[in-house]
Amino acid sequence: MPRPDRGFCLSPAVKFAVVVYSSPASSQAAASAYQFVRTLLNEGHELYRLFFIADGVENANRLTVTPQDETNLPQQWHGLITKYKLDSVACVSSAIRRGILTPEEADRHNLDAHTLLDSTEIAGLGQLIDAAVNADRLVHFG
Amino acid sequence: MSILFTISKPPALGLLESCQSIIEGSDALLLLEDGVYYSLREDLIRPLGRIPIYCLEEDLLARGLAEKTFELIQQVNYERFVKLCTEYSKVVSWF
Amino acid sequence: MATKAQTFIFLSRSAPYGSHRSQLCLDAVLAAAVFEQTVHYIFLDDGVYQLLKEQDASAINRKTLGKTLQSLELYGVNQVYVDGESLNYRGLGTQDLLLPATEINAPGIRLLLRNADHVFNL
Repeated sequence: MPRPDRGFCLSPAVKFAVVVYSSPASSQAAASAYQFVRTLLNEGHELYRLFFIADGVENANRLTVTPQDETNLPQQWHGLITKYKLDSVACVSSAIRRGILTPEEADRHNLDAHTLLDSTEIAGLGQLIDAAVNADRLVHFG
Repeated sequence: MSILFTISKPPALGLLESCQSIIEGSDALLLLEDGVYYSLREDLIRPLGRIPIYCLEEDLLARGLAEKTFELIQQVNYERFVKLCTEYSKVVSWF
Repeated sequence: MATKAQTFIFLSRSAPYGSHRSQLCLDAVLAAAVFEQTVHYIFLDDGVYQLLKEQDASAINRKTLGKTLQSLELYGVNQVYVDGESLNYRGLGTQDLLLPATEINAPGIRLLLRNADHVFNL
């Protein structure tokens, strides 16, 4: 689908923030969030931040393996985040509880594996509040 | 000031009952994921009155419901879902 | 962070302990308060169970949510509401609650939602 030319479009680009609460393996919400984000970017809108929280941090698990005939949502997110240089954040307290770790967190806790996709950063809930404050629309998927 | 409400869980969880007293005439409701099963529940949807009721087409198709909705339900795709989010002043999601 | 405080509504609709949603909502409330936003914390549906007196989650090796809720004021969260109808429906009243929440009804919630900048619904 062609990207609409915003210069001639009546509806201006909107800055979204999207919060994901569910893991790819447990509910459809993660896949819905992915479709939503892909669509809003295609439509010429902006994503201020993608925030993974609670089980949603599993969307950034780099060690996710799916059967060949199923989609690997963390890899899809990784592709989208990288392509559009999105600001993608996993909530730190949700992440470390679930073993979703950056190399630094793994070192700090003396663990032998890091599991977070490098396209996503780890940060506190302040980044969620900041996203709400600075985006025009906050949309939740859970 | 109007709000786009979304429901993404099936009718048995009672989310519509929980939010319907908060919904006003200028608002709209969008059903997605298992929320699209409300499209079979005319008895629950009709009392909402004249507010627009949108149902995500992809989720209806996936569940074999696309031909089973009644006249109050407007089927929308993801492009329209995104557009609706921009048309209402906020999105409040029930899940 | 923006310089002007915005209004955040937190609808807390889940019972404590059985799921982590109530704790998640509380964490988000505290984060908004720390960043000096205006917070309205509304308990409705099964969320009202979070406010019951005499909780002791040490019995299930957890932190007692009610204890943290009692210290909300220390964090600057003083606009706490409970939905009267949700209490009635569950055979509860404000005398059963561990903090002095303002009783609110559907039109009241509707008004708060409309005037808010952001809504979290857990």
